[in-house]
Amino acid sequence: MTTELRETRLPGVGVKYTLLCGHGQRLAIILHNDGTRELYVFERPTDEEPSAVVELDDDEARQLGAVLGGAYERPKIVEELEMALGELAIEWIPVPADSPAIGKSLAEAAFRARTGITIIAILREPEPVTGAQPDDVIQEGDTLVTVGKLGQYAAFRRLLAEGPFGDQPRSPK
Amino acid sequence: MTLTQLAVTVALLGALGLVASRFGLSAIPAYLLAGLLLGPNEPEFLTVVRPSEVTEFVAELGVIFLLFFLGLEFPLVRFLRAGRHVMIGGAIDLAANAAFGLAVGIAAFGLSFGALVLAAAVYVTSSAVTIKGLTDFRRLADDETGLVLGILLFEDLVIALVLGFAATGGGTAAGTLSIGAKAVAFVLGSLLVARWLTRLVDRVLDGLPREFFLLFVFGLLIGMSATSAALGLSEAIGALMAGVVFADTAARMEIEERFFSFRDLFGALFFFVFGLTIELDAIDTVGWIVALAVVLTLVGKLGGGFAAGRITGLTSRQSLNVGAALVAHGEFTIILAQLARGNPKLSGEVKRDLMAFAGLYVLATATLGVVLMKESRRIGRLLFPVTT
Repeated sequence: MTTELRETRLPGVGVKYTLLCGHGQRLAIILHNDGTRELYVFERPTDEEPSAVVELDDDEARQLGAVLGGAYERPKIVEELEMALGELAIEWIPVPADSPAIGKSLAEAAFRARTGITIIAILREPEPVTGAQPDDVIQEGDTLVTVGKLGQYAAFRRLLAEGPFGDQPRSPK
Repeated sequence: MTLTQLAVTVALLGALGLVASRFGLSAIPAYLLAGLLLGPNEPEFLTVVRPSEVTEFVAELGVIFLLFFLGLEFPLVRFLRAGRHVMIGGAIDLAANAAFGLAVGIAAFGLSFGALVLAAAVYVTSSAVTIKGLTDFRRLADDETGLVLGILLFEDLVIALVLGFAATGGGTAAGTLSIGAKAVAFVLGSLLVARWLTRLVDRVLDGLPREFFLLFVFGLLIGMSATSAALGLSEAIGALMAGVVFADTAARMEIEERFFSFRDLFGALFFFVFGLTIELDAIDTVGWIVALAVVLTLVGKLGGGFAAGRITGLTSRQSLNVGAALVAHGEFTIILAQLARGNPKLSGEVKRDLMAFAGLYVLATATLGVVLMKESRRIGRLLFPVTT
């Protein structure tokens, strides 16, 4: 299925994007020149009157965009799509609430050395960590953005959920 | 004008503006009405403010700010990018409504310069009222909205040319032509200057402390307005071109943000002062002209919009929406009449009639147009039960 996203200029107002959804609904998004966004929802493609209109300011729109884009929770289908990358995968992995890794720095946890999986970013409120460094500390509620080979993930998930970390010797400095 | 008078004025502007927005109407007719009420017209017990040098000056600033913003968003580039549909739609709208406007003008003033100004005033739809209506009535997502906005672009460009000589044309045909030529020269000159001025302005604005930023922009705006006035053109063209100069600078967004409030305040006062200076006695002579113009506007805008819609491939219902969105007149009609008022070559009687006409015509069409926009879908379903 291909999605059809059409862009139309509205001179003096902004830009309009129209999306025909697979279930027959139609979405129109108006980007106003002043930064506000309006979201028009049409139940059927032929409807003249929108059944809902949502007005969002810049911040709200970005947050909604991030949620829809899957940055907060990866929908199942996206996880499967990632596998299409071949042997290499990018996975979004939430840290379990009781993970022994919470409070450890990435260097202490040594995920890469022990499983081959590299943590490239950490999603957390309010600011995500991009380009994760060895001294970044894992916190409760984090979602780890990881790169690795598919076969390495089982070990990674087990390590993240169960440890052990405490008895690992710290790397000498 | 005293502070007390100003306080009463602003209070009434606010109150009427709120009432208007409560009914989904534009604030422009509300401000005009406030001017009519508080001005020297009947009822006399409400006569609080009389036109004076102060009110005139405030109105002049209002025109300057309104045109400065038109210049900042001057549609030339966007227009060149716009599609063929916009050209066709704009041309149909121009042909139908300028012709009807000219017919009304000639009926009112005979074959004269006044008739030409009136034609332009009848031709040009209010961008402010229409865009507000499209937003309020949730029409921005509709397919026909692109055509409506395109036609408004087209009209803005035509009116920018008319502004050049509305204040100074008339008299002999040769004189009017030479003023037209001067206006074109001034516009081209400013455009050329704008190209190399942009980087200089950016560098200056970057290094300036906040309070001087405001002064610098304001100074350039007033300076260009004064220059164009001194050249025998109207200050309006200077203000417009000042906007164009700043439009390409990196500071454009900041300028817009900082000057929005000036435009809104002085714009409101401008419409108010215009209301003040309307002489309602002129109703006897212009009443029928207004009535005729409103009828022809309905025919021209609804018909022209409908034709433009059908030719560019919209359905009948959508085409009706296009026409309905173009009925409202507002800021440009008033500005044209105000500029003509400063034109020494027009007789006092013509000016008086033009102003009364513009005021009443805007009151009528801005109200009627908004109601039509609101109801056009329902009317469309009645007229065209089957979508085609």
